[in-house]
Amino acid sequence: MTIERVGGSRLAAALIATVVAALCAITPAIANDDAPITADIPALHEEAASAGIDHVYDGPWEYFVGGGVAAFDCNADGRPDLAFAGGERPAALYVNRSPTGGALAFEHRPLGPDGTDLTAVTGLWPVDIDGDRIIDLALTRVGRNLLLRGGPDCTFTPANKAWSFDGGRAWSTGFAATWEAGNAHPTLAVGNYVDRSAPGAPWGTCHDNRLHRPAQATETPDYSEPTTLSPGYCSLSLMFTDWANRGEPALRISNDRHYYRGGQEQLWRLTPDRPPRLYRAADGWRPLKIWGMGIAAADIDGDNHPDYALTSMGDTRIQTLDEDAEEGRPVYTDIAFEIGATAHRPYAGEEIRPSTGWHAEFDDLNNDSLIDLFIAKGNVEAMPDFAAYDPDNLLIGGWDNRFREAGDRAGIALDRRGRGASVVDLNLDGMLDLVVVNRSAPVSLFRNLGVGTPDATRPMGNFLAVRLEQQGGNPFAVGSRIAARIGTRVLTRDITVGGGHGSGELGFVHFGLGTAERAELRIRWPDGDWSHPYRVFANQFVIVERGAPDATYWYPPPDERPPR
Amino acid sequence: MTGEARLPAVRGMKIRQRAGLSGLALAGVVLAGSALADAPPWSEATRGASLDVETLDLADPADRDRLIDRGAHLFIAKFTDLDGAGRPMATQAIVPTKRRRPPPMPFQRLAGPDANACASCHHDPVIGGAGPFTANAFVTEGFESADFDTLDPQFSNERGTNHLFGAGLIELLAREMTADLQAARDAALREARQRGEAVETDLVSKGVAFGSLTARPDGRIDLSKVDGVDTDLVIRPFSQKGVMTSLRQFTVNAMNHHHGMQAAERFGPRWTGETDFDADGVSGELTDDDITALVAWQATRPPPGRRRDLPPDWQALAQAGEDRFSAIGCAACHVPALPLDTALFTDPNPFDTAGTLRPGETTQIALDLSAGLARDDRGRLLVPLFGDLKRHRIADDQRDRLGNELLSQRFVDRDVFQTTELWGVGSTAPYGHRGDLTTLDAAIRAHAGSARDARQAYEALDEPDRQSIIAFLKTLVIE
Repeated sequence: MTIERVGGSRLAAALIATVVAALCAITPAIANDDAPITADIPALHEEAASAGIDHVYDGPWEYFVGGGVAAFDCNADGRPDLAFAGGERPAALYVNRSPTGGALAFEHRPLGPDGTDLTAVTGLWPVDIDGDRIIDLALTRVGRNLLLRGGPDCTFTPANKAWSFDGGRAWSTGFAATWEAGNAHPTLAVGNYVDRSAPGAPWGTCHDNRLHRPAQATETPDYSEPTTLSPGYCSLSLMFTDWANRGEPALRISNDRHYYRGGQEQLWRLTPDRPPRLYRAADGWRPLKIWGMGIAAADIDGDNHPDYALTSMGDTRIQTLDEDAEEGRPVYTDIAFEIGATAHRPYAGEEIRPSTGWHAEFDDLNNDSLIDLFIAKGNVEAMPDFAAYDPDNLLIGGWDNRFREAGDRAGIALDRRGRGASVVDLNLDGMLDLVVVNRSAPVSLFRNLGVGTPDATRPMGNFLAVRLEQQGGNPFAVGSRIAARIGTRVLTRDITVGGGHGSGELGFVHFGLGTAERAELRIRWPDGDWSHPYRVFANQFVIVERGAPDATYWYPPPDERPPR
Repeated sequence: MTGEARLPAVRGMKIRQRAGLSGLALAGVVLAGSALADAPPWSEATRGASLDVETLDLADPADRDRLIDRGAHLFIAKFTDLDGAGRPMATQAIVPTKRRRPPPMPFQRLAGPDANACASCHHDPVIGGAGPFTANAFVTEGFESADFDTLDPQFSNERGTNHLFGAGLIELLAREMTADLQAARDAALREARQRGEAVETDLVSKGVAFGSLTARPDGRIDLSKVDGVDTDLVIRPFSQKGVMTSLRQFTVNAMNHHHGMQAAERFGPRWTGETDFDADGVSGELTDDDITALVAWQATRPPPGRRRDLPPDWQALAQAGEDRFSAIGCAACHVPALPLDTALFTDPNPFDTAGTLRPGETTQIALDLSAGLARDDRGRLLVPLFGDLKRHRIADDQRDRLGNELLSQRFVDRDVFQTTELWGVGSTAPYGHRGDLTTLDAAIRAHAGSARDARQAYEALDEPDRQSIIAFLKTLVIE
């Protein structure tokens, strides 16, 4: 990620432009593959204003980055509620009042009790830290980070002191959480950006990152002994990921090459009861230097290992475990070009300058059973070497294992500078909606109407929404993998907290099933145990309680009218 | 426009075709089969040109007949390579599934494609009817070991061919029952949420009990006491197992499975990214309107009736047998008639899911199927199906003849089957889901599991009384 507050960096920008231009020059090999999208393209209808969401992420230089949204259910009605970062404005909570399958509707509520400083928030992630089955929130800030303990009916109280969490004073931009083996409480990772107070700032002055492992055998979370993850390379996104399928999460960090010196993308190995250790070249890790802004993960090549989308300036990277990599060696290869997912310049308008990518999220927005990729796009502020009109991407996955752009046809090609986002079913109709936080512009809220035009839509493919529950300190089973078998194919989703750009979600996990009218689920629980198969029919919301003989169907609440 | 016409022999049998299909009866159908719009009369393509259903006015009897005739044509057509018969790179699975490699034989009677035409099997006693043992099909999901070439039951379930008469009414009953069950679920959920406590509700539709469910105030449903229906509470009335929702779904499945004729609505670009998913060199093998026409023809097969030409002694015995049939418990599942609120058959079916066209995705047709049906004292039409559209366990450890399958099908246990509708049973021997019971008596004696008491009651009857039941069943014919 590049910030243009200081007039320099022209050389870097020129270099980027050169690289991108070179890529564009060789792009015809891909551009020739202009086969039309035959799958459904969802009609995404922007309705933030009518839904009652009036929120802007804004502020000076420090808020050129960040701008997240958390999607989670804070009042146990099953609907995802939304909390937004505001930058120099206060973060805000919007309680979901959308009728099932209907127009989106939200009610504005204060996020914290009076007196809580909720300005300077860059990102928010939902996570149940204390294991009480009420989702808490982690807020990264320019300054002291906050943990908010969730209470009944969307109430939150600051919990830094109660949980001995030192929010620090850094410029924090990324967050991730995982439950390491045997722990009742999650390990928290906080990613920090530029150290503005260091001599020579902002170049080469990246803050270290922090790992907050919980104290052992305490009933209340206790994060009194954080660990420094050094070196830090001006991170903008973190994600815990079991890249090797060995039941041990590692911490992937995406870093902004514009400000680091000698830095690269990072992968930390976390072995229980041992200090974190960076994977190095000797382990097979290949240095990668990008303007890293957001991480998304999904198994898009069906090798049972997560692949990673890394947003950047210019090309988006898609990292896949090299097929020749020996077991346990994190050797990654970039396949973005061959699968048509570079998304390196705007697909609409007259711009030929490169794009700037932020939040990335894999999900199936057209329910055809193939994973799609959403990327929030937008100029940092007014960088002349990068596209000014830089619409968000909706890359539709195809049966030829390639992605094709459908953002304009879907209706999301707005002239706004996207940052964080969430792809989530807000009205519980089985079709994923989209919320995008924009810098210095209103939040975009897109309702997925199905395939067609907003005036004439039809249903898309079948879907399944799955939520996991288990006893103990990790009630929502973060770290699990859900495998849904439809025919000869197995669709997988990992439940994670982290990644994206400033944004996270926790709740029902969405599967598009295409033409399958049923699926067989198996769960790999966080401790590595696999469940027995659960047989479920399509177009259902199902809850899998660990150890239960059958999955439980859950039905959305009946329609409720939005508040007057 | 009604009655029957003699058709050319199929497999050496005299096949009767309902003459109402068109003034030209089958001769016209066969001619049409060869008469592709742009093909010479000697063309070996048999599919013919699709109708444009949107241009039809189904209130006009002529247009209605055109649609139904088109369906008849497709039901009878012996598809050829030119039509797209065969599926060298696709399995029989209902979810579009590629083969890893072409099969050694393009057609074979086990994994399929196993038939040239729908009427190859559905022809006894007339087209649209059942099939004898020689027309058995071998059912598998088509995912693992899709190319099985053995009778070993660990690879497929062998099934007899059901008849399709009255199928439109069956589908309408199933839709109304689905709506009833889902409405009961929704009402229980509403009440549970309002009261803040769990609410148990019985699931009953048209007098058929499907167990109960418990709705919890948090929106969860306990389905552990649901009986005889899928957990989504959709009555799937077709196939011996009761696993297909609609004639449309059944048609799309069967066309691929048995003929390698792939419907665009499931195997086309929307869901597969390809126009020729089975890689046989033919694109667009069956259009949406072709499937609609096939549905229309099947839906309008008249309901089976009763023999009216009985001699007095048979008449009397059959009446006694029908009374005895109910008295010993057979009618508990083989319910003589279920009430139907409306006999206006519309397609697509509102309970179908993606991959089978749903309302709004193609031109809707509406066909009145009420002709000839009696009404009950509430004015509801009575569909004399002798069934309950419910699944039951039909074998036990003492008598497992009807539990002889090794593979469960679509979440349904191997020894659980939907109650066979007995209308037309007098015309559709042999019996049992494998078609390996040659007499009705043997079929009755094979009942076990949930039907054990009724079967034991039957066996406890003296021979004349048992004969009366057979005499009754033999009156239920396809006319």
